[in-house]
Amino acid sequence: MSIENELIRRDIGHTKEGDKDYPRRLKCLSDRPKELYYIGKLPADDIPSIAIIGARNCSGYGRQMAREFAIELATAGIQIISGMARGVDGIAGRAALMAGGSSYAVLGSGVDVCYPRENAELYEELMSKGGVISELAPGYPAMAANFPRRNRIISGLADAVLVIEARERSGTLITVNMALEQGREVYALPGRITDSLSYGCNRLISEGAVPALRPYELTEQIISRFGNKEIKTAKENGQDKDNMRYLNADHDKSFMTVNEREVLGVLDYRPKTASEIFYELSARVDIRIEELLCLLTDMTVKHMIECIDGANYCLRG
Amino acid sequence: MYSSVNSGGLCGLMCYIASVEVDVQRSLPAFEMVGRLLSEVKEARERVKVSLKNCGIELPPIRITVNISPADIVKSGTAFDLPIAVGIMNALGLVTDESIEDMLIIGELGLNGDVKAVNGVLPILIKAKESGLRRCMVPADNLKEASFVSGIEIIPVEDVGKVMHLLQGGEEICGIYADNNGICTDGSKLPSTKDDFADIIGQEACIRAATIAAAGFHHMLMVGPPGAGKTMIAKRIPSIMPPMDEKESVEVSTIYSVSGLLNKDRPYITNRPFYSPHHTATTVSLTGGGAYPRPGIMSLCHRGVLFLDELPEFNRESIEALREPLEAREIRVTRSRTSYVYPADFMLVAAANPCPCGYYPDRNLCNCTEPMIARYRSRISGPIKDRIDIITYISRLDADRVVGAPKLKGKGAADSRRKGSDEISRQVAGAYERQRIRYENTGIRYNSEIPSGSIEKYCGLGSDEREYMKEIYDPMNLTARAYHKILKVARTIADLEGCEDIGVAHLREAVCYRG
Repeated sequence: MSIENELIRRDIGHTKEGDKDYPRRLKCLSDRPKELYYIGKLPADDIPSIAIIGARNCSGYGRQMAREFAIELATAGIQIISGMARGVDGIAGRAALMAGGSSYAVLGSGVDVCYPRENAELYEELMSKGGVISELAPGYPAMAANFPRRNRIISGLADAVLVIEARERSGTLITVNMALEQGREVYALPGRITDSLSYGCNRLISEGAVPALRPYELTEQIISRFGNKEIKTAKENGQDKDNMRYLNADHDKSFMTVNEREVLGVLDYRPKTASEIFYELSARVDIRIEELLCLLTDMTVKHMIECIDGANYCLRG
Repeated sequence: MYSSVNSGGLCGLMCYIASVEVDVQRSLPAFEMVGRLLSEVKEARERVKVSLKNCGIELPPIRITVNISPADIVKSGTAFDLPIAVGIMNALGLVTDESIEDMLIIGELGLNGDVKAVNGVLPILIKAKESGLRRCMVPADNLKEASFVSGIEIIPVEDVGKVMHLLQGGEEICGIYADNNGICTDGSKLPSTKDDFADIIGQEACIRAATIAAAGFHHMLMVGPPGAGKTMIAKRIPSIMPPMDEKESVEVSTIYSVSGLLNKDRPYITNRPFYSPHHTATTVSLTGGGAYPRPGIMSLCHRGVLFLDELPEFNRESIEALREPLEAREIRVTRSRTSYVYPADFMLVAAANPCPCGYYPDRNLCNCTEPMIARYRSRISGPIKDRIDIITYISRLDADRVVGAPKLKGKGAADSRRKGSDEISRQVAGAYERQRIRYENTGIRYNSEIPSGSIEKYCGLGSDEREYMKEIYDPMNLTARAYHKILKVARTIADLEGCEDIGVAHLREAVCYRG
């Protein structure tokens, strides 16, 4: 059986340099892949695309923001490219699909190899609602040595790159360097200067990257620069309300008790234990630890806050 | 001439009354000993001969045969020296049969004739009393320990010469009868623990969790970064548990007596034990056993607290060894011929880092990968985790709480309301009392022991509570097992608050400890 037939049998698409369906964005790259294998689709050439990348071990803040930006961008019809890695990549891909958008993942292994295993569900979904792409032949195992090369395709397939979180020395920054070489626009999510996970992004901003301050702003920028008239921003769709959930806009504070409001005031995206919350809260309201524990349970059940890893609490998006 | 003297020996924690039979006959000098004796028992030959000589009792040329019955139990220890010596005196006619009638004799001999302290005096005396013996001759150094057994005459002795003098009637035997409440009279002299919960800055949620754990004898796990105060909290848990009752004291003291951990300064155990073995401890040192089986640390903290710091760092075998005591509350050391049962009913307090570096889920400090964290956590296996009812999270303290910040308005209000061990232990005592009444004659003692079949009976919920649990079951990702744990913990919280029925507030709090 020929290789071609085997690929067709397994629903694996194949394109090489010079083919009609070879992605336009890759054509101008100096180190473009000679061939690409894919399951599902390749990103459309005429629709703007953005790569959302960041740390594998991201913080709660990174997780929330990756989700927010991916949802907003995907809802506007922008294609989301990622590496399907743990952390930011996987979260962004998942959120984009959840929002009904299209999302593509470039793998560091053959397209029929799912790595990491815990993203198996996302992998399946990508195949049907977007695409998984690789320059490596099917069956090629996931090897760390291949990941940096895979990154050039991630940035290559995108018009712009959004960096969510990156440490000082991070693989994400390698992708950013490649994106700059390829002439891609770089956006970075600003963070507190004390957060080691925001160091990379803040550094990028100081070096000229565009700070990503609001998901809808970024969406508008992307569309105005790379879009065509078919794409409309959320604003043009008639939603001019800033619907970022992380501003707690959907919590109508008038329904909250005083203590609930105070707890929200104490929490941020860094997970805190009940003891820490108790200490900060005790300066403002008179509450016993038993009461606080009950309150935290209630707020978790009501989805006002998020409970991570058993009993560490933080704000939710 | 034949003589028989009562003595006692230990086999694990079980005691037996042995009769030391001595026969002497005119013949070439010889000293034979039989009765499944380990070498330290056989070596009594030389100790007895020399110590008798050094106390002025010259043995004529005789053949001495000693049998210690029951002959099928392996005899160990050195407590048979003195009964053998007394047996020889009796067989030679130096002391009368009447003088040693109904008397149990134990003690080790030195070559100069001194009688030295032995292990296991407490359980042996209890056994002697049960067997109907009236008098016990014990080494003077064991007197304090012995005097906790009431209703039996205790004769402390210091050397073999005096023993003979005493038995020959040269001096009136004035034995000691322990007063009935030795524990109270002597227990008060023991230094009470200085550790107090009031010493702990912050960690209110953990202290609350520890209070509940102590009140219901729930096993507990504290998760948090190094240096947050896990050890400090664990150490203070015995200070809030109600004192042991007399039966418990006897059980614990028996284990200590057998292990040779009682002495003149600490003749009896009244405080709940606390043990904190290092994670390099071998499995056998934890469970007990060994070539000559003896209780391990898990038994030494019977009725008290076993604190395992850095639980995932313990070797797998040691962690798995926790299964038996957590399940059966005892440890069975099985040998081909016999098995030894050591009680091990302890409250497990374990501490663990949330991840190898200790800072998860604060991702700005922790860069451990998810698989690393999963691997680290999997070292505590499911069956062990299932036995832990309460999981609590502890956090690093801010500098201004440790060093002490200038008092700002309102700030630090939490610190000024710290509860001391006295206050907490009163609450816990109330919860114990409620449990005692509820579980009278059921075999259950604490809420943590409620078998799953009886949860409905003891942790029944009203309709509001049922509705509440239904409501949170899915959002909180509960499982049937987690549900049962929550009910048991809620039962204890209700007991702490002095409530007969579990209320919604108790359930809401209990959910926080599910981990």
